[in-house]
Amino acid sequence: MTTLEGLAHGLLVALQPSILIYSLLGAVLGTLVGVLPGIGAMAAITLLLPITYHISSEAALVMLAGVYYGAQYGGAVASILLRLPGTPQSAVTTLDGYPMAQQGRAGVALFTSMVSSFAGAMLGILILVVLSGWLAGMATSFGAADYAAMMVMGLVAASTIGNSRPVKSLAMVVVGLIAGCIGTDVNSGVQRLTFGQTQLLDGINLVALAMGLFGVAEVIANIQGADRHGPPSRVSLRQLIPTRDDVRRMVGPILRGTGLGGLFGALPGTGSTISSFLAYGLERRIARKPERFGNGAIEGVAAPESANNSASITAFVPTLTLGIPGDPIMALMLGALVIHGIQPGPTLLTSHPDMFWGLVVSFGIGNLFLLVLNLPLIGIWVSILRIPFRWLYPAIIVFICLGVYSVRGSTFDIFMVGGIGITGYALTRAAFSPALLLLGFVLGPLIETNLRRAMLVSRGDAMIFLERPVACAFVVATVLLLIWPVVKRIIPKR
Amino acid sequence: MQRDHDDIMWGAILALLGLGVAAYAAACYDMGSLRRMGPGFFPVMLGIVLAVLGAAIAVPAWWRKGVARPLYWREALGVTASLMLFSVLMGTAGIVVATVVTTLVASSVAPRGGTLWRVVLAVVVAALTWLIFIAGLSMSIPVWPWS
Amino acid sequence: MIGNFKHIGIATVAATLLAQGAAHAQDWPSEPVHVFVGFPAGSSPDTIARLVAEPLSQALGQPVVVENKPGAGGVIGVQQMLSQADTGHSFGVTINGPLTTSQRLVPDLSYETASDIAPVALIATSPLALTVPADFPADDAAAFIEEAKANPGDIAYGSVGQGSGAHLTAELFADAAGIELFHIPFQSYAEVTTSMLAGEIDAGFMAPSAALPFVEAGQLKMLGLTSAKPFPQAPDVPVLAGQAGIPDDFRAELWNAFIAPAGTDPAIIERLNTEINTILADEALQQKLLATGWNVAPGTTADLAARIEADTALWGKAIDLVEAKDQ
Repeated sequence: MTTLEGLAHGLLVALQPSILIYSLLGAVLGTLVGVLPGIGAMAAITLLLPITYHISSEAALVMLAGVYYGAQYGGAVASILLRLPGTPQSAVTTLDGYPMAQQGRAGVALFTSMVSSFAGAMLGILILVVLSGWLAGMATSFGAADYAAMMVMGLVAASTIGNSRPVKSLAMVVVGLIAGCIGTDVNSGVQRLTFGQTQLLDGINLVALAMGLFGVAEVIANIQGADRHGPPSRVSLRQLIPTRDDVRRMVGPILRGTGLGGLFGALPGTGSTISSFLAYGLERRIARKPERFGNGAIEGVAAPESANNSASITAFVPTLTLGIPGDPIMALMLGALVIHGIQPGPTLLTSHPDMFWGLVVSFGIGNLFLLVLNLPLIGIWVSILRIPFRWLYPAIIVFICLGVYSVRGSTFDIFMVGGIGITGYALTRAAFSPALLLLGFVLGPLIETNLRRAMLVSRGDAMIFLERPVACAFVVATVLLLIWPVVKRIIPKR
Repeated sequence: MQRDHDDIMWGAILALLGLGVAAYAAACYDMGSLRRMGPGFFPVMLGIVLAVLGAAIAVPAWWRKGVARPLYWREALGVTASLMLFSVLMGTAGIVVATVVTTLVASSVAPRGGTLWRVVLAVVVAALTWLIFIAGLSMSIPVWPWS
Repeated sequence: MIGNFKHIGIATVAATLLAQGAAHAQDWPSEPVHVFVGFPAGSSPDTIARLVAEPLSQALGQPVVVENKPGAGGVIGVQQMLSQADTGHSFGVTINGPLTTSQRLVPDLSYETASDIAPVALIATSPLALTVPADFPADDAAAFIEEAKANPGDIAYGSVGQGSGAHLTAELFADAAGIELFHIPFQSYAEVTTSMLAGEIDAGFMAPSAALPFVEAGQLKMLGLTSAKPFPQAPDVPVLAGQAGIPDDFRAELWNAFIAPAGTDPAIIERLNTEINTILADEALQQKLLATGWNVAPGTTADLAARIEADTALWGKAIDLVEAKDQ
């Protein structure tokens, strides 16, 4: 079956009324849970799981995929309006989306995030269709040394975000790396820095960390000030539409973000997180005025949103063709397939072409639903800002609690949010960037595990990082990134 | 002479944190070899780096003027307390009581006086919570103290 | 109202009730039954729990709610079940680890399997498969052992973590075969698979269901199983026991079981055991379990108790081996 035949066939599968209904159901539910701070796709999928046992595998997967994307669309809403990110990806979106909202451009920010998400997803599908074989090959050729080198590059490339002085930025990254050490060490099984707390054996809950550092810290800082600004004026349709200048600024970041996301998304593990940080970092580096970032630059919303949606499309490549899920939600979808007797793996494309192509097409349809569904909702979301903050923030706190609880049913995690929140407030007040702490926290365990694994594989020979071509390329790129600022300063002096 | 007290304080805290982590990890966890790195290797290295960075933040701040920023300590304590109360009350007293208490504690630090709006808000938020999380998402959480 | 009175009763005469069991068999279940699972929704233990929970709720006439309390290799799920023990409606589905090895591997564990857990029924078992890349210069276990003897400590194998079933099984196998293997821990079978495909490691003890698609695609091969009998999902793969000097009684299986807090009324446990065995006799359910890599293993509560005891000793020996190696 050629790709075109496959797509045509997929269209027939995806346009069945039952599949369309499940896709719409997933998209609606995903958006709704995504908008609630902290509650992600996981909560909705757990709710839907019993249903998936009784419907066809295509319908089940289409519905779960709808939830997955819907939660990403919805997640941007709380990030932009209230600085309440549920995931590290949407934490990147807060960096410029929230300042835009504070400048009265919440509508434009939301519009940008949705259009970027849609464009990222659609172009991601294109990448998936054209390059799926190549991407699958890439995912199985990456070794531990390659992962370690890639993560280090990601850390270095993204470490300029956040607009604080370099030494303070680095300190936050290191604090994040240390926080990432908490929990059971993968390589030795030793419980590190847990101080006897069984609840910490799997580390600090990522959602608790993101909610505390961003959401809670912002609530504390805003209680006194917010009401003095007065409620934002009524939002008219005009205010939702980006200016011509905005559109011009969006195109490049969306294309670059999609490319990065599509590439990294196919690598199981961190794909979408590292790609949204990288996409943001890249835009900031190539911008003529990098200081605009962090102060409401529209590129800072477009790039990460397109990157993470593109990544979550190509994340299906390892899930379906290798049976390797990149995140818990992908693992859930894998489970839904297996229960129907479909074993994802290298032979899936030939043994179940209906499913594969039907899924690809329904991703597109699902994203179309989401765009159509979400654009009219922007007005409603923005009007949340007209509620006086003193009425809003106690509700936000309760929602944060339940959102964090929904991740793994732990009241200990809610307690942690309290501690993390006050720390986050103090750090933000002292002009530290919490986004970098989050970055270190996410990448730290991956860097450590893969670095140590690479040394095991090479039996202690560090040359492995230069002998493997991919690892070597990342090492060179990292070195260039590190010396570039120095070189840039020297060259004009000549 | 003005000093940047925030940076001095935070530099010192981070430096101490780094030293603490490095010392604790060195004492408790195996460093391993280059071939099989132990669980102590990374924390010790990171702790030392953080200590250096902390010093690099704190020392120059001694000779530099800081930025005056408001410190909302009442708000910080109120919000943190309300989160922690929720965590304690949710499992024992159910989410309705937990939500009401959390809302009241959190709103106690709001800039406007009055009791009525706080009580109304608590009831509204509790109702919303029940609607969304129990009726809507059917999360399995005790609703009342006796359930 | 009855529910309220029962709670008051529990609070006041807890001691008597502990002796009698928290709930009475006649009016049980009087409220929804909670089944705690120490792994996230969609994981393999969760799928097993949900497949059993649905028919179980029909049989009991009360909802059976699966509660995911993931963490610490399933230990958190068991702890949560025990923390709700006084309701008389708190049960668990768990893999073998929290009942057999966690006592040794998790410091400050808050429960003792022998005194705090009442076995109800074994649900399903799965062997592990000695798996190698297709280009590995050995086609059966005997050749693999020869290869390992020729290059002691050179063959690197992946497991799903330090102290995991895969790690301990590999060490038991190496001990039985008299060979030395080099251990590299990963976090999932998927990671072990990619690492084998990328040519970083030479072998892995894998769940057959995780290895099968790659075996069919000609990228991996399975050399032997750790179970006593062949596994229906991979009927062509021989068992390791009795091959190339491996003892005939070599057996290391993973399993999932239904458990209750100690002190639960024996009549309730007996009822649950009967219901679960009826459920496991259903052919459609057996097929679904097999698709996820699990072979149904019906049996009495005593069977499960014996299994826990035997495996605690077996894995204990493996942990001793690992600890001796690390010294």
